[in-house]
Amino acid sequence: MANYDVLNGNRAAAVAALLCRPDVIAAYPITPQTPVVEYLMQFAADGLLTSALCEVESELSAMSVLTGATLAGARSFTATSSQGLALMYEPYFRASTLRLPIVMAIVNREMISPQSVWGGQQDALTLRDAGWLQLYVEDNQEILDTIIQAFRLAEHPEVLLPVNICYDGFYLSHMAERVAIPSQEEVDTFLGVRQPSPVVLDTRHPIAVDPLTTGEYVMEYRHKQVQATRKALQVVQELNSSFAQSFGRDYGGCSESYRMEDAEYALVTIGSMTGAAREAVDLQRQLGQKVGLVKVRLLRPFPVQEVSQALAYLQGYAVIDRSVSFGRDSGILFQEVAAAMYTLGKYVPAQSYIGGLGGEDITVPMLQQVLAEIAAKPPEPTARWLQQEVD
Amino acid sequence: MTITEKLAALPDMISPGISSCVGCNVELILRTCMKVLGSETVLAIPPGCMGGVGVVGHNTKSGAKCPVFFPLLDNVASMLAGIKLQYERENRPVHAVAFAGDGATVDAGLQCLSGAAERGDRIIYICYDNEGYMNTGYQRSGSTGKYAWTSTTPVSAANRGGKRQHKKDIAQIMAMHDIPYLATCSPAYIPDMVSKVEKAMVYSQEGLVFLHILNPCVTGWGIRPDLSIQAARLSVQSNYHPLYEVVRGKYHLSMEFPEAKPLQEYLGLMRKYAHLTPEEIAELQAVTTSKWQRLKQLAAMGELS
Repeated sequence: MANYDVLNGNRAAAVAALLCRPDVIAAYPITPQTPVVEYLMQFAADGLLTSALCEVESELSAMSVLTGATLAGARSFTATSSQGLALMYEPYFRASTLRLPIVMAIVNREMISPQSVWGGQQDALTLRDAGWLQLYVEDNQEILDTIIQAFRLAEHPEVLLPVNICYDGFYLSHMAERVAIPSQEEVDTFLGVRQPSPVVLDTRHPIAVDPLTTGEYVMEYRHKQVQATRKALQVVQELNSSFAQSFGRDYGGCSESYRMEDAEYALVTIGSMTGAAREAVDLQRQLGQKVGLVKVRLLRPFPVQEVSQALAYLQGYAVIDRSVSFGRDSGILFQEVAAAMYTLGKYVPAQSYIGGLGGEDITVPMLQQVLAEIAAKPPEPTARWLQQEVD
Repeated sequence: MTITEKLAALPDMISPGISSCVGCNVELILRTCMKVLGSETVLAIPPGCMGGVGVVGHNTKSGAKCPVFFPLLDNVASMLAGIKLQYERENRPVHAVAFAGDGATVDAGLQCLSGAAERGDRIIYICYDNEGYMNTGYQRSGSTGKYAWTSTTPVSAANRGGKRQHKKDIAQIMAMHDIPYLATCSPAYIPDMVSKVEKAMVYSQEGLVFLHILNPCVTGWGIRPDLSIQAARLSVQSNYHPLYEVVRGKYHLSMEFPEAKPLQEYLGLMRKYAHLTPEEIAELQAVTTSKWQRLKQLAAMGELS
């Protein structure tokens, strides 16, 4: 039986990690992720969490300790943000190319400069080609539920890849809402018995991990990783269904369509802005505009077919990004969606919008304005910027 | 049993036929340490000479008979800490061992190493110090000695040259972390090194242990291959690289020479110091003498409270 509690996003993440019983946790505090580390340490001090905890001296070491622990067979968890993610780039990339099923929450925060500690998805989206699976979530319940699913996704024998659960700094990390907490038994049942990893530094079966490797093998390793990443599309969908069956909460899998049945125009969103977007869609519907939204949950691998099918019959759509792709005059998600739409062989007018950087709000009126605008004006080749009126 | 008989009886944990430079003693050091450490070892070989000569392996072949892996240059101690944590969680004794050059130790990997030492991660960290990035063509490191020629501290007639700074004293840096065991070793004194590896295996149950082994680089330093052990011996006998231990905070000198050899004899064996003026040699001698005196004082202090 689930308990209900009022949890901020960081606590939801920590509780989820606790319920998944990792062997090793190594984490370094950084705003706005810091409370995750504090909660986990408190759970351990209270005897609830029995994982081996490593109080590392940096994020580089956090990911490195987990790389080592996972190579020794551990289930492992960590969380970070922004500059911390940037610092761990070297072992981060390698965790995917070593096919290590590490689960890491990323509390999305703007990259400096200028100095900022507030929200923005630039940190994780910039690393979209580093081989991790990346899921972006909308609210605190989804944080908890997706972390639980992430361990099964990462450890799936045909996937074996590290997974990021990305949630917006402060908007989710520090805002509290009602969250259903599944029981330990329910989570144990859902996770099942873990298959041992095929690559373990075990003295009983000595192997070499990462000898000097020639190109023909590198090609093979990369190809296999690409196949495993593609497989994750299917596994995310299966896990979503299986989770919905066990817990009664369905997130749509790789993406979710909202009021898209007869929609002529749509918003494409990622992360916590989706809440405001649902509201904007409802209000525009009341005004008579046939609109909907597509929330992208899985950024890597990108659900090309699912997203392009969802948007195929629109007269236009807008992609809202909390990130910038420098040199492409758009947000990062926009490129992903536009590239997916190219596979349809037909053109659907598309406009990139950038907003919410450095913790700025993406408001309901802003998104209503976007929906009105894409119906009234042809798209432009560069992004439009969502900015609040400054008095 | 002599040390030779003892080592001969132990199985070799490293593959035969490693392609290290003629006269290089790092392979001797690695083989010897690994014989003592044995098969219940997970071995980290980061980028450096030993990674370059095939100790991790090539394509589908392993270079060692125990589990061996290639950590990043800057995360050796952290990866080992993670491996050790998981082995401890499974109640399985194992030696988590780093065999790392000075670049991975005193420069890029120093933060990770310091963190692991402070936390007391139970790993054995062996640094083979050849005073530079020798595997990639003799670039300067934080462990390169003052005035030494390297490919990034060239010597020119116009501006003399060589490195402008003294080397980091990594052994002292690690000793000040209050780790349970630290020792300096030399391939010229194998029985001493073997006994220190044995102690390291015991003290690593309490926390991080550190072995600092100075290994003259024949190609990078410009030493005749048949004189590489002689150079290692002179580094010890001149007190440039004195052999000592720090056991739970207490300093012990492993050997003391009634009359230290002049540093010039050591410097004179290698081309990297060939350009030195008598004044520069005198300066290096003075630093060596002063550091030796400080070490003797530390050894005389006895147990630190």
